[in-house]
Amino acid sequence: MTTARTWRELVHALITAPVRGRTWRELVYALMMPLMAGIGLVHLVLVLLSVAMTVNLVGIPMLALSVFAARGLGTANRGLARVLAGVRVTAPAPFRTGPGLLNRLGAALGDVTGWRAVIHGLVRLPAAVVAFAVTAGLWGGGLLLLCCPLWWRSPAFAHLSPSGWPGAVLMSAAGLALLLLAPWGVHHALAPERTLARTLLGPDPGAARIRRLEQARAMAVDDAAARLRQVERDLHDGTAAQLVTLALNLGMVQEDLEHAHRPERLERARALVDSAHRGAKEAVAELRDLIRGLHPPALDKGLETALATLAARSPVPVRLETDLPERPAPAIEAISYFCTAELLANVAKHSGAGHASVDVRAGDGLLTLIVRDDGVGGAATNTGTGLRGLAARTGMVDGTIDVRSPAGGPTVITVELPLHI
Amino acid sequence: MRIVIAEDAVMLRDGLHMLLTSRGRQVVAAVGDGDALRAAVAEHHPDIAVVDVRMPPSHTDEGLRAAIEIRRDHPGVGVLVFSQYVETRYAAQLLADGAHGVGYLLKERVADVRDFLTALDRIAAGETVLDPEVVTQIMGASRRIETLGTLTPREREVLAMMAEGRSNNAIANALFLSYGSVEKNVTQIFTKLGLSPSENDHRRVLAVLRYLQA
Repeated sequence: MTTARTWRELVHALITAPVRGRTWRELVYALMMPLMAGIGLVHLVLVLLSVAMTVNLVGIPMLALSVFAARGLGTANRGLARVLAGVRVTAPAPFRTGPGLLNRLGAALGDVTGWRAVIHGLVRLPAAVVAFAVTAGLWGGGLLLLCCPLWWRSPAFAHLSPSGWPGAVLMSAAGLALLLLAPWGVHHALAPERTLARTLLGPDPGAARIRRLEQARAMAVDDAAARLRQVERDLHDGTAAQLVTLALNLGMVQEDLEHAHRPERLERARALVDSAHRGAKEAVAELRDLIRGLHPPALDKGLETALATLAARSPVPVRLETDLPERPAPAIEAISYFCTAELLANVAKHSGAGHASVDVRAGDGLLTLIVRDDGVGGAATNTGTGLRGLAARTGMVDGTIDVRSPAGGPTVITVELPLHI
Repeated sequence: MRIVIAEDAVMLRDGLHMLLTSRGRQVVAAVGDGDALRAAVAEHHPDIAVVDVRMPPSHTDEGLRAAIEIRRDHPGVGVLVFSQYVETRYAAQLLADGAHGVGYLLKERVADVRDFLTALDRIAAGETVLDPEVVTQIMGASRRIETLGTLTPREREVLAMMAEGRSNNAIANALFLSYGSVEKNVTQIFTKLGLSPSENDHRRVLAVLRYLQA
């Protein structure tokens, strides 16, 4: 049943291939290969000439110009690849330079995007040849064979001609088969082209990394500011208000005690002292929670101990497994701790899970933290502020967070951090 | 005396409520945010509103803004702004439209029950009460201002106490001066700040404002 359907789908795909847009776009792309590769080749020759001529200085502006032109060529190739080959490549950052001729020369000569386009021009030559050859072979050969009944009697083709009508029809059928296979073949022959466009015509990895780090830094700064604000608010609304209330109670006690000879004042003073006593204990407890939120004392004894404390405090039962032959950097320990705390809090708050597990391992310079639960799933980094905060904190140290949480669960969240910064 | 309390920390609100009630004041409403405060003042027309600066939803200066509006819309209602820290800008905003029946105190002043109640009475009677801490900060900041720089240390002290809303008599007692010598200092302050005698009624208030606006 399944195989039958698979076959039907395959046949359907083969037959409808010629009427699909992709087939024709890729055919046009492949047929343009000689043109684009040719332009690239001419450009490469210019680059080489410029390099050769740098000895008498004329070559330097020429080289700068060629590198700059490579950018244009890259843009054209990227556009073609997008429109015809279906490869979406992010445009690299625009050419940036200071004022003045020298600045412009320097910027062009050191333009990573331009040089990457030059390399693309060189490396794509064989890829273009292969793609064109396959395309020409499949489409050209297919068409030629298909038309066999038209030419087989011509004396010019005597050496390839079949020996009679049945043979000619057979060749024609083979041509048809070749034509049906052509879209598939061309698509695969274009694979190297697509890969090259993706790797060499996009933003240069260094710049992309800088952008990523800038984003991580912005998030980290925001995160730090938000956390300070939260601490300030907790102190203001919590501890400070509690202490003021305490002072107020004691102030009233003081006044009442001045009239201690009156039993009702003494009685009220006693009640106020009770309330003040309770208030002081509450303030101490809240302050302790707040302090633990800043830096958990358990972390001083190592990540295992701190995580064990966390696991023990979790309302959902947590199975903890740690394998840390090497102690991570303090900042990494702190980030792992707060990630675990946040994730376990999420488990307790949102997942409805009956069980959770925390796995922490160190190896190959990486710390891997996996928090699993058997709850309802549906967690994502772009929904909750909590997970976004975690992404910010892990991103700060080049770490990653991966959330797998299909609706219906289970949820598996993997955080990877470098062991040392 | 009829009082409205606006304070978002429930514990402290209840504490204030108990304190004032037990000392024979009538608390007509105790609320937790700016809008409720405006509504309560409009409804009850109290003698005084005790207002926490930071309240929901903004948790910034919600209470202060409400206090300023109350002073504008209900001139007969005294306002005591009650804050965990001193912000001279807040004091200046609060006093921008005059200093009649207004006060700005740190929350911890509530611990000295008698002083706190006296402050409430004075504000309800139309006087000005500024926290000593507010005055200290203003003095610190105003040292840079030229006219204020011409005051002698003694005159500064006297002005600071004026800003706290004390009478000449109280200042004389606190600074161990004769009443006459306090009067002389006050006149000297008015002269140096350029406050002419015709404004006599408000000169104390104006002298304080001069500080705040500097």
